[in-house]
Amino acid sequence: MGFPVSLRVDDGDVGEEGADAVFAWLREVDARFSPFRADSEVCRLDRGELARDAVSADLDEVLGLCEEYRVASGGAFDVRLPGRGLDPCAVVKGWSVQRAAGLLRAAGARRFVLNAGGDVVAARGPWRVGIRHPGRADRVCAVAELTDAAIATSARYERGDHIVDGRTGRPATELLSLSVVAPTLTVADAVATAAFALGADGVPWAAARPGCEVFAVTADHRVLRSENFPAARAQAA
Amino acid sequence: MKRAVPVLLLSLAGLIPVWRYEPSLGTAGAAASEPAPASSSAGRGTTVRGSNVQTEKGPVQVQVTFEGSRITAVTMLRQPSHPQTTAAVPKLVAQTLEAQSADIDTVSGATITSDGYRTSLQAALDARGA
Repeated sequence: MGFPVSLRVDDGDVGEEGADAVFAWLREVDARFSPFRADSEVCRLDRGELARDAVSADLDEVLGLCEEYRVASGGAFDVRLPGRGLDPCAVVKGWSVQRAAGLLRAAGARRFVLNAGGDVVAARGPWRVGIRHPGRADRVCAVAELTDAAIATSARYERGDHIVDGRTGRPATELLSLSVVAPTLTVADAVATAAFALGADGVPWAAARPGCEVFAVTADHRVLRSENFPAARAQAA
Repeated sequence: MKRAVPVLLLSLAGLIPVWRYEPSLGTAGAAASEPAPASSSAGRGTTVRGSNVQTEKGPVQVQVTFEGSRITAVTMLRQPSHPQTTAAVPKLVAQTLEAQSADIDTVSGATITSDGYRTSLQAALDARGA
């Protein structure tokens, strides 16, 4: 689950310990929940070495979220695809980075922006968060202005067709990119992944989730967004 | 309008599952179409009203505004009054895809690999802040 993490803290009196706590926690999450580490709790559960009712409270919470979004998406989002191992990464990422933001607050940070592999928690604000253009890595296609909110983006441009529609077992290809703004990154990431798996239907589905706003780019390079998506006015290039 | 109507139907197909989506009900009601879509032109845009569609939650009707063949707005004219479905009706806006180089603090995107990161805007922002 390796991904680059960027952190900017604007409180001058917050020391390095907040950032240290964030990176220690994310390393711990990788060790415990990675489907690519044979000794992780996720892999031990998947192999049957760990009973479902014996998992840690953290993994129990993650699996509960996975099930919630599987049901809510009609099976499009599914961390147990046939022929594949248990892979809760899509939920673990948002959930763990949201908790990392809590560690920063506990360390005294009040105004910060935490970006983990393109998923962003904004504390106070307003922060200007660009949404990467699906065709050009050096351009954005919109700017979201966030204050105490989070944004997550699911897309095809980086890892190709890696999000599978659990209803068909085939990659979801109707959208190029879909971003969700929500009160927490836990919700934003899970909704963005589930909506992407749903394809075109995922846009109104995500817009209807409580507290969520959506910005999507379709396969024919058109934008469909929810009316109240917090888009900043475009500036001259 | 010949080009617009299929687009409208696609929009309806996209929006109706929102009412249909109701896990506690479990049944999908039959949707019956009523009168054919009507359209009118005002200024640059063309406004098209969709059919009145019956769902198990009540009647649904949308209005779509086009400029040429492009959707510029989708408005709900009629929606079920059930509180859960009222809350679930999203308003979506269509617009063109832009490529901006705006002044930003950070970037959201599927920047999951370090290869992608090296070419990404976020790397440039980090370099600027360092």
